[in-house]
Amino acid sequence: MRNRIFASLIILLIANTVVGQNRRRVDLSIPEVDRKDVICFALYTVHDQTLKLTAQLYPLKNDEVRLARLEIKKEGNWVEVAQTEVIEQGWTAPFRVAKWDDANTWQYRVRHGEQAVYEGTIRRNPTDKDEIVVAGFTGNSIMPAHGGDISRQDILDNIQRINADILFFAGDQVYDHKRHYAAWLKFGRDFGDIIKDRPTICLPDDHDVGQPNLWGESGKISTLRGAADGGYAQPGLYVQEVERAQTSHLPDPADPHKIGQDISVYFTNLNWGNIDFAILEDRKFKTGPAGRVPKQGPRPDHIRNPEYDPVSVDVEGAILLGKRQLAFLKSWTQDWQNAKMKVALSQTIFCGGAHIHGSASGRLHADMDSNGWPQSGRNRAIDALRKGFAFHLAGDQHLATIFHHGVNEHRDAIWSFCVPSIANLYLRWWAPLEAGANREDNMPEYTGDHLDGFGNKVTNYAAANPEKKPAGNILNTRSAGFGIVRLNTKTREITMECWPRNVDITSDDAQQYPGWPRTISQLDNYHPRSWGKMKEFQFDYAHPVVQLVDNETDEVLYTIRAQNSFFTPHAPLNREFTIKVGKDSPDRVITTSAKAKK
Amino acid sequence: MTIQSDQAKAEASNWQTQVLEYCLRIGNFFCFAGWAWGHLYWEPSYASILWSEASFEWFQQFGYSWEEFTGTGANDGLIQECIQWIGWICVANAVLSFTARRNSWIQLCLLTSGSLFMLAVAVAKYIRSGFELPMLIEHGGQILSPILLVMALSIGVRNRITTLTAIIAVMMTFGGHGLYAVGLWPTPATFVGMTRVVIGWDYDASKLFLLVAGVLDFIVCFGVLIPFLRRSSALYAMIWGIVTAAARPVAGMSWELNYWGADQFLHESAYRAPHFFIPLFLYLYWTYTKVQHSFGSLTLETKDMTLPSTTK
Repeated sequence: MRNRIFASLIILLIANTVVGQNRRRVDLSIPEVDRKDVICFALYTVHDQTLKLTAQLYPLKNDEVRLARLEIKKEGNWVEVAQTEVIEQGWTAPFRVAKWDDANTWQYRVRHGEQAVYEGTIRRNPTDKDEIVVAGFTGNSIMPAHGGDISRQDILDNIQRINADILFFAGDQVYDHKRHYAAWLKFGRDFGDIIKDRPTICLPDDHDVGQPNLWGESGKISTLRGAADGGYAQPGLYVQEVERAQTSHLPDPADPHKIGQDISVYFTNLNWGNIDFAILEDRKFKTGPAGRVPKQGPRPDHIRNPEYDPVSVDVEGAILLGKRQLAFLKSWTQDWQNAKMKVALSQTIFCGGAHIHGSASGRLHADMDSNGWPQSGRNRAIDALRKGFAFHLAGDQHLATIFHHGVNEHRDAIWSFCVPSIANLYLRWWAPLEAGANREDNMPEYTGDHLDGFGNKVTNYAAANPEKKPAGNILNTRSAGFGIVRLNTKTREITMECWPRNVDITSDDAQQYPGWPRTISQLDNYHPRSWGKMKEFQFDYAHPVVQLVDNETDEVLYTIRAQNSFFTPHAPLNREFTIKVGKDSPDRVITTSAKAKK
Repeated sequence: MTIQSDQAKAEASNWQTQVLEYCLRIGNFFCFAGWAWGHLYWEPSYASILWSEASFEWFQQFGYSWEEFTGTGANDGLIQECIQWIGWICVANAVLSFTARRNSWIQLCLLTSGSLFMLAVAVAKYIRSGFELPMLIEHGGQILSPILLVMALSIGVRNRITTLTAIIAVMMTFGGHGLYAVGLWPTPATFVGMTRVVIGWDYDASKLFLLVAGVLDFIVCFGVLIPFLRRSSALYAMIWGIVTAAARPVAGMSWELNYWGADQFLHESAYRAPHFFIPLFLYLYWTYTKVQHSFGSLTLETKDMTLPSTTK
């Protein structure tokens, strides 16, 4: 009798799950479109007077030409400026136009054959604007169970209302692990109307390349379920197609040497409106944890044991950013040509930014999919970024947070803003067991100074935790939304905004998630409390580039473009520095014996 | 002469029965030992299904609260406990593979429930795959392994229903693999990845290799039904079953890893043991049957020769 009841229960559970999951399935079929609509959408960036635009096409028929044309409107007439071959694997048409006039706005249209036309606007470089507005997104689940089937029109309307200067999609634009092309077309249908008229940065993350987590490990082939052995689970050709669709419109890579399986790299920088964005791909070289670190939980990448020694997982040979990326960051932080502020864009933040993982799973002490691991690699990355006072904007966590990171002491390095998911597939909570130290007045206990699960120093200022048992508004109880970052090149202030879905963010009664907005200074990205100040230096021109070099180690402490024609450097106490300045690069030594005082 | 032949036949039949029975016992043991390892040491491959809200809603009907379902962090929730319990059920099933006897009905019932468990695993993986039919089908060998052992013990290894079930198990396993390998459903990336790592071929060559392997899988499915092809089909199935099970550790293990990665990959081979022990069972069964047929005809000849002499 008991066996029968048990069997009946199992059958009921199976039937319930099958029916439930079937109800939640998404139609990802590629629509048959009129030939005039064969161009789905187009993404572009302009950097260093070079336009790169990739048009995404629906499948072409056998008898159709494989050539796409790019035209711009000059004095009322359409003029062809480039042609390109359509790449059949993924149906992309990547254009590259050098000597682009970025001082003017241009109407463009992509054409295919005689009928297909797709129009948009290439904006002029907004160098005269004081405030550059970046809209950040991540986690574009299309599953109805998570509200993924709810229209994105609210996002489109809000982006148009605030007229964002640049869009940043931090990853997981596509969740389907086998049909990236079909899902990418859907992404284009959903967001094409805002993407076509402004520069857009996309970073493919784990789900985009068809796996639940990603440790790229320089292009290795992954064969372990969950891919924690490092590398790519999908064939290199699939990954290449994904990266071509999502990143071929980015500025040329800083170091274009390919990795394993002939997979390209795309880490580079984009200068727009005097903001210098480093576009990092923080998973590409990262090593997988499986077999590399001692087992600490039911998955090789999860640490469930709070008693474990964090040092035990910071193993030799574990890499976060590759050597080439670190070398790029070193030169990027010292290069302030046409730049007043710096922002690093990557898939995820450099810490374990959540404690409770999954819609229903319990507490996880640490997750090696986060960039809190390996700790040495995390510290190297943050140390590199703070030398340019870079603010870090990322996604992936499905949980919006603001962290001020620390390397040697709390709050001695960069700030990061992890934006919320467009529709939240997998819930996470920032819920430390102990109250944070040095909290601001009236701030929740989860804010303040903490050590993350890897022992990294982090200070939390906000976390848009979902409701413990989400119900009702399927998007906002799950803390879906998007982030806005306002970068003021005049005041050198950075304002982070975190908005829920389906509100008019320009209305007076619109509320952000608790903890937002928050404004910081550019200098807050590298201003340890233990440091002191030097005397004020006056210059005979505005906004010089200033660099401090440690006399003892000969290492650059930091480089920055000053806000005014004077600058008061801050620096560690009891050490002597050489200060270099220049209009666009720090090529003139003004002192070799500068010291800071408390 | 007749008495000696009958005795030899009986002795041969006896040890052959033992061998056939142990094929199924060993296959079932490794299958459940592998799954036990996957549950108790790691997280089972279907776990993400359990973490879904659909599962929570279902358990909620039985009065489970959020905290009881998820755990509080300080303690495990229902799901973690269930996974542990399922792991121990797998251990029990592995032990039962060797202890179960014809008349021990409780053990046989528990073994049968092992098939239900494997069916649940297969359905979970089927859902997780996005309802890809081959995912469900290819688990046929593992689903039927416990029930096949129960049949062998209760109605006999040579019973027609037992062998028919074994044939179905092989057809399901190889049919499911074949559907994936030839690309009728998207070929899992791990198939290509393992081929590339183990053999060192490029993507196109690996895909071609899998296509050929997939066609051979289908030939095996039909071959086990055709008398003159069935032994060679079963032999090929056994060898290919070993190769595909071994591909996991061969591709994934490395001297540079802790325990060489054995803890990550060996159990994945272990629970695929029915993929080669059931074909081995069929190969041996048909070999013994063939030998017995010829042995039987020899006996008849002897009888024919003997009878007249005794009459004399």
